[in-house]
Amino acid sequence: MDPAENIDIKKSTSRLFVRAPGHGSSLRPIRTIITDLARQVGFPEDEVAKIEMAVDEACANVVEHAYEAKRDWFWKRLNPEIRLTIHTEADRLVIQINDDGRRFDFASYRPVNLLERIRAMRSGGYGIAIMRQFMDEIEYKSDDETGNILRLVKYLKKS
Amino acid sequence: MKDFRIELESRGAVQLIRLQGSLDMYSFPRLESQLQTLFQQGRYAIMLDCSLLDYIGSAGLGALIGFAKQAREHDGDLKLFRVPERIYKIIELLGFTKVLQVYATEDTALASFQKP
Repeated sequence: MDPAENIDIKKSTSRLFVRAPGHGSSLRPIRTIITDLARQVGFPEDEVAKIEMAVDEACANVVEHAYEAKRDWFWKRLNPEIRLTIHTEADRLVIQINDDGRRFDFASYRPVNLLERIRAMRSGGYGIAIMRQFMDEIEYKSDDETGNILRLVKYLKKS
Repeated sequence: MKDFRIELESRGAVQLIRLQGSLDMYSFPRLESQLQTLFQQGRYAIMLDCSLLDYIGSAGLGALIGFAKQAREHDGDLKLFRVPERIYKIIELLGFTKVLQVYATEDTALASFQKP
């Protein structure tokens, strides 16, 4: 069965909740949800494309690193999932991405220079730099109770 | 995986690869595997038809420049053509077009391999 078929979407008056399997096949449907919503909120297409890529990079990191099974890591859940909570405030779109996987080690992370990395023709390591470039705010926190939470914010008026 | 398709065609010494769908972290290993096979066969002149792509993520872009680098080390290259405007704007903004050669048409991409 294609895990992407298990994506669950719930709406409240002010928020959209998405629960998707922590699997690569969830990436495309998540992008579709995000781009549809960003267009509805009123972002121009160039900004929609940036939001799409930033969220895709974030979710790809969850699948590839937080839920990566080959290393010394055991999933806390039998069915690891990515949970997105999306809402709009007066002037911004807020996307919160939650997982229960391995914690990201911010202490050892060093911001990369995107252009230098591209010029060196490196084959990976672009995700966080792209999120930083395309979103207005990016915040990560992690603890045993909440799991890992990445919060991405994009302002409408800056578009 | 129905969201991503690869078709191969030969243009003499140049290998044409037509891509369709999304080139993201989930799908790019398929292209990676295909390119590795071509390189093992000594085919380092590659051009990618991107006209039916609807998305490229950093995993796909990283793989493309990694393979372009390898191809150039063997006097070949990996070039893109007919990249949809929405995707082109993103990869140009990020700077990937500074190292990846992008052409408007199949003919211009093919001709670029024949220049001295």
